[in-house]
Amino acid sequence: MVGEGAQLYTIEGVAAAMIMLLTAYFVVNATAVYTAGDTHINDMQLEILGKDVLDMMDTRPNGTVEKSPLRLIIEEDRGDDFRTAFVTMANNRTVADADRINFAAQYFYNNTGTIGSHPLSSSRDLTGGEHAVRATKWVIVNMDLDGNGIKNRAVLVEVVLWRD
Amino acid sequence: MARLNDSAQWIILMGFLVSFAIFFLAVVINQSTVVGQTTAESVIEFPKSDIRDIRAVALETAGIADEEDRRIVVGDITSIAQQRTHAIVSLHFVPAADSRMQVTIHYNNGVTEYDEVWISP
Repeated sequence: MVGEGAQLYTIEGVAAAMIMLLTAYFVVNATAVYTAGDTHINDMQLEILGKDVLDMMDTRPNGTVEKSPLRLIIEEDRGDDFRTAFVTMANNRTVADADRINFAAQYFYNNTGTIGSHPLSSSRDLTGGEHAVRATKWVIVNMDLDGNGIKNRAVLVEVVLWRD
Repeated sequence: MARLNDSAQWIILMGFLVSFAIFFLAVVINQSTVVGQTTAESVIEFPKSDIRDIRAVALETAGIADEEDRRIVVGDITSIAQQRTHAIVSLHFVPAADSRMQVTIHYNNGVTEYDEVWISP
């Protein structure tokens, strides 16, 4: 006759060991759980960064009534200045090495009911493979967009930015 | 032989207990991969930047003195917003007392609706 009194203890021991191992696993993992839904955090940070850069470019110097740099860039079509300003501001970091943010910018305007677009500049051509986000900024400019003379008009600056 | 031998009932009971515990833990692990999905979706859907942007340009438009100029700018905003941000935007400017300007902002992108009445200082 085989004695089976120890089976209960063995099963209990196995169960206890599993629970302890799982507890340890959860504790170790608790600070580093990166779920599928968390990827949006990086995207939103990049989007806010782009938005902040556009806000900075659309700030009038010293709070005067002069035109903002972004407005002058659009009115005078100085895409190179846009690239210099955007790349500098987006990639500056407190650490020594710069960030790797690239962008493509254009603005949209209303041409008598049709929405037209005008490229500003880009730091690299979009291939379609980038994981890009979009930042926009409304700017009121004083220029001739539909052939009816120079007027106050609203345009939407749209920047597609990504990090490689 | 007449006596019923029931010592195996404990083993079966403990087996059930352990298997339920493991099953429960498996469900917890399984759920952890979709945690945050709904939160993330609602965060992404909320057009915070768009609304702040529309608000800023509406307040700037209120500073344009000429009514015809303002009408053109509002027309630009409405049509570009519809095409580029898929949002219905309407802005109304009504002169208020003491040469102030009352701005009514309406924004709706199908998911989020925003309304505000702002009076210039």
